[in-house]
Amino acid sequence: MSAPATAAPTTPSRGSAPPEPRRRRRNTYGWPARGFSVPAVLVVAVLLYLPFLWTTWISFTEYNGLGSPSWVGLDNYRAMFDDPNFATSLRNTLIWVVGSITVPVGLGLLIAVLSHGMRFGGWFRLPFLIPYAISGVAVGVVWRFVLQNGGGLSQALDALGLPGADLRWLSDAPLNTLVMIGASSWQQSGVNALLFVIGLQSIPREPIEAARLDGASGWRMFRHMHWPMLRPLTTVVVGLSLVASLKTFDIVWIMTKGGPGRNAETLAVTMYEETFVNSAYGAGSAVAVFLSVVTFLAAITYLRRQLSPERAV
Amino acid sequence: MTARILRPTILLVLGAIWLAPIYLLLVNASKAPAQYAADQVWKPISDFALFDNMREAWEIGGLGEAVTSTLLYSVIGPALAVLFGAAIGFAIVALRLRHGFFWFVLVFGGTVFPLQMILMPLFVGYVEAGIYDSRLGMIAIYTAVTVPFAALVMRNFLGGIAHQVFEAAVVDGASTWRIFWRIYLPMSTSALVAVFILQATFVWNDLLLGLALSQSNDVRPLMTAAAALQDTYGGLQLTAVLAGGLLVSLPTVVLFLSTQRIFSRGLNLGQF
Amino acid sequence: MRLRHTGVAALAASTLVLAACGGGDDEDAEGAAGPGMINFYTDKGAWEPQFLEVSDVSETSLGLGLDFTGYSDAEQYSAFVRQSFRTDEKPDLFTWHTGSELEDLVTEGLLAPTTDIWQGAIDNGDVPEAMREHFTVEGEQYCVPMNAAYWVMYYNKDVFAEYGLTEPTSWAELMTIADTLKAGGVTPFYETNILFSFVWFQTLMAGTDPELYNALGTGEANYTDAGVVAVMEQWQSMLEAGYFGDPGDQTAPQDQLKNGTVAMINFGTFLSGQLNSVDMVSGEDYDFFLIPNVNPDLAQTSLIFETGPMCTALDAANETSALQYAEWWMTEEAQTAWANARGDVSFNPKALVQDQLLAGLNEQSASGDYLLLERYFEATPTPVLTAALDGFSAFVTNPGDPTSILQTIEAEADAYWAEQG
Repeated sequence: MSAPATAAPTTPSRGSAPPEPRRRRRNTYGWPARGFSVPAVLVVAVLLYLPFLWTTWISFTEYNGLGSPSWVGLDNYRAMFDDPNFATSLRNTLIWVVGSITVPVGLGLLIAVLSHGMRFGGWFRLPFLIPYAISGVAVGVVWRFVLQNGGGLSQALDALGLPGADLRWLSDAPLNTLVMIGASSWQQSGVNALLFVIGLQSIPREPIEAARLDGASGWRMFRHMHWPMLRPLTTVVVGLSLVASLKTFDIVWIMTKGGPGRNAETLAVTMYEETFVNSAYGAGSAVAVFLSVVTFLAAITYLRRQLSPERAV
Repeated sequence: MTARILRPTILLVLGAIWLAPIYLLLVNASKAPAQYAADQVWKPISDFALFDNMREAWEIGGLGEAVTSTLLYSVIGPALAVLFGAAIGFAIVALRLRHGFFWFVLVFGGTVFPLQMILMPLFVGYVEAGIYDSRLGMIAIYTAVTVPFAALVMRNFLGGIAHQVFEAAVVDGASTWRIFWRIYLPMSTSALVAVFILQATFVWNDLLLGLALSQSNDVRPLMTAAAALQDTYGGLQLTAVLAGGLLVSLPTVVLFLSTQRIFSRGLNLGQF
Repeated sequence: MRLRHTGVAALAASTLVLAACGGGDDEDAEGAAGPGMINFYTDKGAWEPQFLEVSDVSETSLGLGLDFTGYSDAEQYSAFVRQSFRTDEKPDLFTWHTGSELEDLVTEGLLAPTTDIWQGAIDNGDVPEAMREHFTVEGEQYCVPMNAAYWVMYYNKDVFAEYGLTEPTSWAELMTIADTLKAGGVTPFYETNILFSFVWFQTLMAGTDPELYNALGTGEANYTDAGVVAVMEQWQSMLEAGYFGDPGDQTAPQDQLKNGTVAMINFGTFLSGQLNSVDMVSGEDYDFFLIPNVNPDLAQTSLIFETGPMCTALDAANETSALQYAEWWMTEEAQTAWANARGDVSFNPKALVQDQLLAGLNEQSASGDYLLLERYFEATPTPVLTAALDGFSAFVTNPGDPTSILQTIEAEADAYWAEQG
């Protein structure tokens, strides 16, 4: 697969070697390269893949956590796709994905770009990082203050004379999913900003200076100079948000347990409820496997596209 | 010119919105239990009871014992993960590991599994391997769960370092280890630190793994102990829960504060 | 640069040494539960101080104490206990749930029987005979009761005094009270759509037709039966009449009662402990009454109770001493210590409960005027319960035609009972 040069001629191609690697290089670093990869591959394989193999096996069985699992073939998967609630979970999960790769990523980029190169930029970013540092227990309590009916958000809207004070934030779908995406953005935006900042920091000065001398500034400068060179870190941020949002669980479980009824349930909540509340380990594992496969395919598709120029090397 | 005013203004306004929930946390954690009223969460306090509430949470939660072990986990786990992540990134980007994309995806793929589902097999495996309820076991799992993130960031970050840097070092006769340790790692300080603090915070705040894989007071991490402060069956007053939540979050806030300098410094990978 | 790397290496080395120490502690942790200490696990992590208080008593009188491990998350806890039977880390003593959860463990032959302990306790008058059936699977007893609680109506005394209200003795009086409060702008009853959404279904069902209530739990009746539909419609009319607080208000029930957000809370007696913790005084600031039957023609007043078992794994490391502990737990001494530490009632009628209100309840419940019914949460098999909690939570949030909700629950119940044969 030959990758056409993706960077426009006007933008400097940063990093990856000049277009010499057409002929296949003989790799003289086979063994050191393997040596450097072993620790990461090993811990992940033993502590994450191996246990999940067990989960995969369980998804083909009926098992309540006691005694021995009994093989049922594809029954759990069939039941999963037949369950009308599965569609709700799928829909909510998709809302989470779309919400998470737009709002916190966009805000993170905005915060990073605005604060980059500014005096005391780090201090301006701090308010956005504190939410990530606060423990989940306290965050749960605080957001309950804010989002419960007649809670902090409603009181604030009321005091400011804005409409919406009597909305039932966590009770009505899809509003509850949307406000929870807001709460999660509150925690994630700062992290994304920090990652964008290290991306901005690694952009070489010379081309930027050259462009500035050519009269580029503001939006044009960002659009044509910074943005293309931010790509490696944009890949990181979007890739992580994609994976994390597909697995959304904590905040939904803490705030609403997926309800009322099941209207805020995500796939991970369905998985958790089946496994841990109903002790239907087989059914829960089937959802987990489905979720993992979807997440894996989404991640690999995205990363492959993003990283392809370097694959050609 | 407008940009010079506009930029800080936007950041300040957004920042103020971001701090509003923090304000709620602080104000209500500082209320004496008798003063707390659920319908007046915005109202500031007259008496300042933050430290009393913190003390109560600290003593009843028995949080003291958990601090050492948690500190250990959140330093060693992410530190190893950052190293492992940087190493595989280096292998792929600089040493051109064969099938690099495959190995990278394999490692990053570790992050797609829902953690909740691997807890049970891990628990059983840990007991059989004799590392259940041990600090070693906790460090191992914390390293494993933080490696995929580290690998993604470090691989992409190191990809930004011009390959000439590597080639020049080879010409100078440096070994691959030396190039990694003395050239690539120092060049990626900001990324290493960013990954480290983000993952250290994650480990510090983890509830799930600690609950499943540890039991005794000197192995159980802090948040597992802190979470027991309140549940469906009662427990501490809400004010003390908030104060306790705040107290256990202080170290991570300090960590973020103290590393800000690194992210304000410019760095330039192209010029090496 | 060199200096910094050396520093990093030294830090890494020293932390690794510390980590290795932790590994060593592991051995100690296992040793700690040797003679004298019993590994005790519970999902009621917040009760640690009270358990340790009782453990102090037992260390002196029995020579055995509890090595406490608390979980704050009931679901994770259940998974941990289930999986632990596959390992050598079987819990000596652990809290659990009656009903289908208990049957699951017994069916797999994982629990140590307690039939002799039960016989002794009943002969000794330490536990009412009626309690035994909830711990019986196929003729044998397993586990002992850890606690007991009754479901009653708590009320804010100041609010009642303000409107000149007294404790009702009939359902009609209770409804009059609710109307009076509502007219005065006070919300009569607490309601929530998280977890405890079943409470009013339980109260209305048990107070209308206790036989049907029990039959639902055993699969002999359907959720679509006319009697159940009628109860749901009554609940709906109460919801629509504005008798209930906002189910989306996640403020803790004790705070809602204290603030006067609601005047009454239908809850288990463990709420006493929570009310005390927000500085409300039993008998002065709050009181409770037994909820009158909806149907005045019933001979006995329905009283919901719950009990949580304390179990011992078969072949646990300290099985013998754990069973000794379980035996002691039912005694007057243990139950007096426990009830007063928790501020709750006890299943042991001889326990000296300091709280006058609860002590009164302890005596009342033993008289023949009350029909004890198992709490809905334990009386309903888990998958059916999950569907029901989801259904009720949607129902209290958006009251409307209950038909589809009942059909969903019934579909789950049908599937469950069909599988049970």
